[in-house]
Amino acid sequence: MTLYSHIPFFIVIFLYFISSVWSVGYIMKPAFFNKKVGKWSMMMGFLIHSGFLVFLGLESGNIPITNVYESFLSLIWCILFVYINLDYLYKLPSLDTFLVPVVTALSLWALTFDGGNLLITVSLQNFWLIAHIIPIFIGYASFTISFSLSIMYLTQQRQLKHKLFGPLFSKLPSLEGIDRLMWKTISFGFPLLTLGLVFGTFWVETQNILGEQWYLDYKVVLGLATWLIYAALLHMRLVASFHGTKIACLTIAGFCLVLFTFIGTFFMGSKHAFQKVSEHTHEKF
Amino acid sequence: MSILVVGLNHKSAPVEVREKLAFNANNISTALSVFLHKHQTAETVILSTCNRVEMYVSSLDSAVKTEDVLSFFADFHKITLTEFSPYMYHYTDDRAVNHLFFVTASLDSMVLGESQILSQVKEAYTTASMEEATGKVMNQLFQQALNVAKIVHTKTAIGKKKVSISSVAVEFAEKIFQDFTGKMVLVVGAGEMCELLLKHLYEEGARTIVVANRTFERAQEIANAFQGQAIKYELLGEYLAKADIIISSTSAPHFVIHSDQVKDAIRHRRGNPMFLLDIAVPRDIEPEIANIDNVYLYNIDDLQSVVSQNIDERTREVEKCRAIVEEEVEHFMARLEEMKIEPAIMLLRNHFHAIGKEELDRLKTKLKGVDNGDWEQVVYTVERTINKLLHHPAKVAKQEAKNGGGYRYVEIIRKLFGIFHHADQS
Repeated sequence: MTLYSHIPFFIVIFLYFISSVWSVGYIMKPAFFNKKVGKWSMMMGFLIHSGFLVFLGLESGNIPITNVYESFLSLIWCILFVYINLDYLYKLPSLDTFLVPVVTALSLWALTFDGGNLLITVSLQNFWLIAHIIPIFIGYASFTISFSLSIMYLTQQRQLKHKLFGPLFSKLPSLEGIDRLMWKTISFGFPLLTLGLVFGTFWVETQNILGEQWYLDYKVVLGLATWLIYAALLHMRLVASFHGTKIACLTIAGFCLVLFTFIGTFFMGSKHAFQKVSEHTHEKF
Repeated sequence: MSILVVGLNHKSAPVEVREKLAFNANNISTALSVFLHKHQTAETVILSTCNRVEMYVSSLDSAVKTEDVLSFFADFHKITLTEFSPYMYHYTDDRAVNHLFFVTASLDSMVLGESQILSQVKEAYTTASMEEATGKVMNQLFQQALNVAKIVHTKTAIGKKKVSISSVAVEFAEKIFQDFTGKMVLVVGAGEMCELLLKHLYEEGARTIVVANRTFERAQEIANAFQGQAIKYELLGEYLAKADIIISSTSAPHFVIHSDQVKDAIRHRRGNPMFLLDIAVPRDIEPEIANIDNVYLYNIDDLQSVVSQNIDERTREVEKCRAIVEEEVEHFMARLEEMKIEPAIMLLRNHFHAIGKEELDRLKTKLKGVDNGDWEQVVYTVERTINKLLHHPAKVAKQEAKNGGGYRYVEIIRKLFGIFHHADQS
C-alpha cells in the first residue's frame, strides 16, 4: 500500500485525536472544551472510517480483512460501532473520555502494520471465515468497552477512597452504574466470542487451514485462554455474585489478553492463516 | 414613575424583628388591599420569607415615600416605628431594581445560590397580581427579575455544588449506588443529623431503613417516621453485612463498629460496596476500616471540608453574577425610560390626528358633492402625512429615552405641542 492510500485513515486518526483531547478536556475545563466538538469529530471520524473500509472492500472485492492492517481497522470500527449503539441505548456519561483515547491509540498502532506485510492466505469467499471473524470482532469490541469501563470504575473508586472530589468525580457515574454496564458488555461479548471460536473450530476441522497441529497455533491457544478468563469472570459474577474492584482488575487483564491474542501473536511468529507478503508471492510463482 | 423598595433581611435585622414584620398567606392579600386603598395609583408586591420582609412599590412621581411604607408596616402589624425602623433599608429606582435582581438570583440569601428564593419571589408576585396590586411596571420588573435569576443560574456555577452536610453525604452515596431503591440503610444512634440524612435519603428513594439505638423507644420513633424497622442494639452485628449504607452517630465514647466486623461483612457481600458515614464525635467507626477494599468511609470532617470548598466556589462566582445583574438592571432601566415616554407619544399622536380630523371635517362641509372614492384618498393622504411627520420624532424620543432622558423629552413634547393633560399616565 502506498502512503497516498493511507491519507483517509490519517484524517480518521486526526479526528479521533481531536475527539480524545476534547472529551478529556471537557472534564477539566468545560468552559473551553465543548463536549459537542468531541462528539462530532468522533462521528465524523467514524463516518470516514466506514467509507474507507467500504472503499478497501470494493477495491479487493472482499470484506476488509485481507491483511493485518485491514483487520485492525475493521476491529477499531467495530469498537466504535458497538460504543455508538450502547451510548444510544444507555446514555453513558463520560465513557467517551475513557474510550476515545483507547481507540486513538489503537488506530495509531494499526498504522504500524502498514499494508501488504501480512496477507491472508485463505479464501475470503468463505462462509466459515465470516462466521468466525464477525462474532469475534464484535465480541472483542464489547470487551474493549468493558475495559474502558473498568478503568473508569477504578478511577472513580480511587477518587472515593482518597477523597479526591475534583471535576472528574462529579462527572463520572456511580460505581454501581459502571459495574452494571461492565457486566452488560461482558455478557454481550462472551456468547459472541464463544460462537466465533466454535465456528473457527469447525472450520479448521473441516478444511485443514492451519495444518495438522492447529491446536498448537498461538492464536488458538491464547484465544482459548481469553475465553477462559471471561468465562471465569462470568462465573464469578453469576454464580458467586462478585462485584467491585477485583472484577474491574480481571476485566482489564482480560482485555490485555484480547489485545495480545489479536496482535501480539504475530510478533511471536504465529501466522494463523496470515503470511508474510514475500513468502506469499514466492509461493505463488 | 419611580420604584421603591423598603425592607429588612437576615443581615440587617435579628429574627425577633423580622418575625414582627412578617406576612403570611392569610394576611398578605389584606395587606396589599389596605395599602392600595390608601395609595390608589401605586403598584406593589410584598415579599415575605423567613429571611426577609420587603415591599416593592411603584408610584407616579415618587408619590409613595419610604415613610409611607414604614408607617404602613407599623399600622398593619400594630407596632411602633422605633421597634423596627433602625433595621430597615430602602432603595429607589435603579438601586431598587438591582436589589430585587440580586435577591431573586439568590445572591443575597443566607445560603448563597439556593434556589428556594426564586419560587418565593414567584409566589409573592403571583399573589400580588391576583390581588390586582401589580401594573405595567411591577409586571415588567418581576418577570424580568425571575428571568435574570434563571440567566444567573444557567450562566454561572452559583447554585451547582452542594452546600449542606446532608446533601453532600447523599451526593457521595449517589457516586457509589446508582439508586437507593432496594438498598438497606442502617442507622446507628439517633441524633438530629441522622434524621436529616435519613430524610434526604428517603426523598431520593431509600425505603429499607433499619434503626438501632441504645434506647429502643427512640429507635422506634425514628423508624416509624420513615416506615423503617427498629432493631435491638445488640443485633447490630447481624445487620452489618446486609446494609449498603451505614450512618452512625451514637454518643458512645468508644468505637461501635470495628474493622473485623466490616471485613466479615464485605466478605459476605462479595465485594458489593459499603458506604459508611461516621457523623459522631468522638468517632463511632474504626478509621482503619477505610483501608478495606470496596468499603467507603467518611467522617464529619470529610463532609465539612467539601461543604466549605463548595461554599468558596459559590462565593467565587458572585462577581460574575453581579456583572450579569448590573447589565440586566441597565436594560431594565432603559426599558422603563422607554415606557415613560410611550404615553406622551400616544397623546401626541392623538393630538395630531384630532387636528387632522377637525380640518378634514371642515373641508368636507366646503367640498360638496365629492364622491366617496376621492374623499377616501384625501383622508388617507392626511393620515399618511401625520404618521410620516410623527415617525421620526417618536423614534428619536424613544431612543433618547433609553439613555435616561425620558422625562426631559416628555416635558419638551408637552411644551412644544401644548399637551398638558394626563401627560404621563401609565
